[in-house]
Amino acid sequence: MGFTEKIQSPKDMKHLEGEIPVNYLYTVGVAGERFLREIKENAKILGVRCKKCNLVHLPPRTYCERCFEQLDEWVELANEGQVETFTVCHFDLDGNRLAKPDILAVVKLKGANGSIIHRIQETHDRDIYIGMTVEAVFRERKDRVGSILDIAFFRPPAR
Amino acid sequence: MSVKIKEYPGTPIREEDLKQGKVLSVSYQPKAKYIWSVGVAIGRYLAELKNGRIIGRQCDKCGRIVIPPRMFCEWCFRPNDRWIILKDSGVVNTFSVSHISADATRIKEPLIPAVIQIDGTTEAGILHLIGEADPKRVEFGMRVQALWKPPQERKGSIMDIRYFRPVER
Repeated sequence: MGFTEKIQSPKDMKHLEGEIPVNYLYTVGVAGERFLREIKENAKILGVRCKKCNLVHLPPRTYCERCFEQLDEWVELANEGQVETFTVCHFDLDGNRLAKPDILAVVKLKGANGSIIHRIQETHDRDIYIGMTVEAVFRERKDRVGSILDIAFFRPPAR
Repeated sequence: MSVKIKEYPGTPIREEDLKQGKVLSVSYQPKAKYIWSVGVAIGRYLAELKNGRIIGRQCDKCGRIVIPPRMFCEWCFRPNDRWIILKDSGVVNTFSVSHISADATRIKEPLIPAVIQIDGTTEAGILHLIGEADPKRVEFGMRVQALWKPPQERKGSIMDIRYFRPVER
């Protein structure tokens, strides 16, 4: 094999294949539990305010990482917020081209200092911009399972 | 629990809590697939194992023969020079007696993984299994010889050698 030859696929060479079994289960924790249950039961997004620094944490946590204060003042947030940043995905996780691009965005909800990462739909990827107002669209009550995907997506509100 | 701490802080949960959906959780199984291209030296090494031969690489500067082979002498910092067909016998450099298998289940017949220094080489060796031996009587420096699988069963793998067994003297 000369220096100029280039192998595109590792399978063209003598190779060994393997698969490492990896399993994981992540429990959402005390604050995550209340946050997701509220979305599931009441279609409401909660944040938690720090009494000391006044920061409203989203997603909620049990303590403030700035002042180490225990957090227990839960506040209901608006279902509306602004696009902090976004990306348009044309490929899925396995590298296959998507029929329709997926828009992922960091959405800062009104009344919160933090943001959540979610999908944006019902808009064209050319029309989205940083600072755009978007609202949460929840799944039907019967389809909600206590996951962040109980919010189906965010979309620009009808004016 | 210790004398000072009666109960650890935190929120205890049990497996049933997860199964019954009392506790929200996220589970995921990433596909950790991989392909390892064996390269020039290991490629030839595995091909020769299929032929029933053990092959190493020799460096002309230091004279050392390395096995498993590589195309570079890390002592002299230069490409090494030639292929050397080696004998399929050697001595036990170190060994262990394992009563559990790779998934930590207890096994009846203990496995004896060992590093076997192949005759003609001067250091370390290859990792393999010792068979047909009483675990209590395996010792460092014991002479062993490869027991090969029949040619039709060989796949170009280190397991084309079934195991190494003691040589009667």
